[in-house]
Amino acid sequence: MKVLVIIPAYNEERSIGQVIADIKQYTPEVDIVVVNDGSTDATEAAAKQAGAEVLTLPFNVGIGGGMQTGYLYAKQHEYDVAVQMDADGQHPAEELPKLLAAMNEADLVIGSRYVEESSYRSSKMRRIGMIFFSKLVSMLTKEKFTDTTSGFRAANRKVIDCYARYYPMDYPEVESIVYLKRNGCRVVEVGTEMRERQSGKSSITPIRSAYYMIKVTLAVMMCALRYREVRPNT
Amino acid sequence: MTIYSVSTLISIVFLLIILELVRRQRLREQYSLLWIAFGVLLFIISFNVALLERFAMWLDVKYAPALLFLFGLLFCFALILHLTLVITKLSNQVLRLTQEITLMKGQEQQHEQND
Repeated sequence: MKVLVIIPAYNEERSIGQVIADIKQYTPEVDIVVVNDGSTDATEAAAKQAGAEVLTLPFNVGIGGGMQTGYLYAKQHEYDVAVQMDADGQHPAEELPKLLAAMNEADLVIGSRYVEESSYRSSKMRRIGMIFFSKLVSMLTKEKFTDTTSGFRAANRKVIDCYARYYPMDYPEVESIVYLKRNGCRVVEVGTEMRERQSGKSSITPIRSAYYMIKVTLAVMMCALRYREVRPNT
Repeated sequence: MTIYSVSTLISIVFLLIILELVRRQRLREQYSLLWIAFGVLLFIISFNVALLERFAMWLDVKYAPALLFLFGLLFCFALILHLTLVITKLSNQVLRLTQEITLMKGQEQQHEQND
């Protein structure tokens, strides 16, 4: 099984090296590609030094566009599994084998903070938002999801193809689940530990969270309403 | 001079400007069609005062030229919507091009390393 880990990174020079080193330590057989989304710091150099393949976008295209670049790369190089992980160290590499182990029962495996008791703690507002999206997605897909905003995921070829064709642009996590369900993919969650981010600040402010909630809700509803496949990005 | 003759004049000048822009290839034919349609409509309405007044009567508008503004405004909305559709399409295309270039650059680098 050819496995690729996709790490989208935007100005993550301080944490990226450690993230790559951890992956190499716990799962030495996987390939790692860092999608450097127009960083203005030394992310590219740090990632290369740590031994990852680096794709550098000429300017910042946002998380969705960057992530999709990773999936396009996975498709181009015919990987069997593509795992997406954050560059800030939130997703511990020692949990990676758990995701990979569940690949034979689903097309997309999501590492969830809430399936089992995990030590992850977050602010109240954030919890409320997460519960809201879990309920929304569970209602629309008629399946139970506990952590729809988790960006720790493993995808097989079917999903790689779907994501290469279409991937939501900003705040993609929630919509990308509904999109897969619309395309007949099996999605499961497995419980994983997550850490506090190792460096950098969360980009969430009150206005942005309001925008986030509204935008994602709209996108998810629209995605659920689309009867057929979503129009490709091109 | 009444508002009708002024707007007739404006619509003629407007149409000429559009045609000239297309001739100089500053405006794509595709996008000019909307403008030409608007110019022609404006011309017809301004030229044919009776038509506008009959419309106004049907719609129970007391001040007929107000209909001109209404049409103008509605057209602006339609055009802006059209523009945002074009922008959406363009930004999708730009993104895909950016991604393809990035992948190609990556491949090139790999080849260089292998050589």
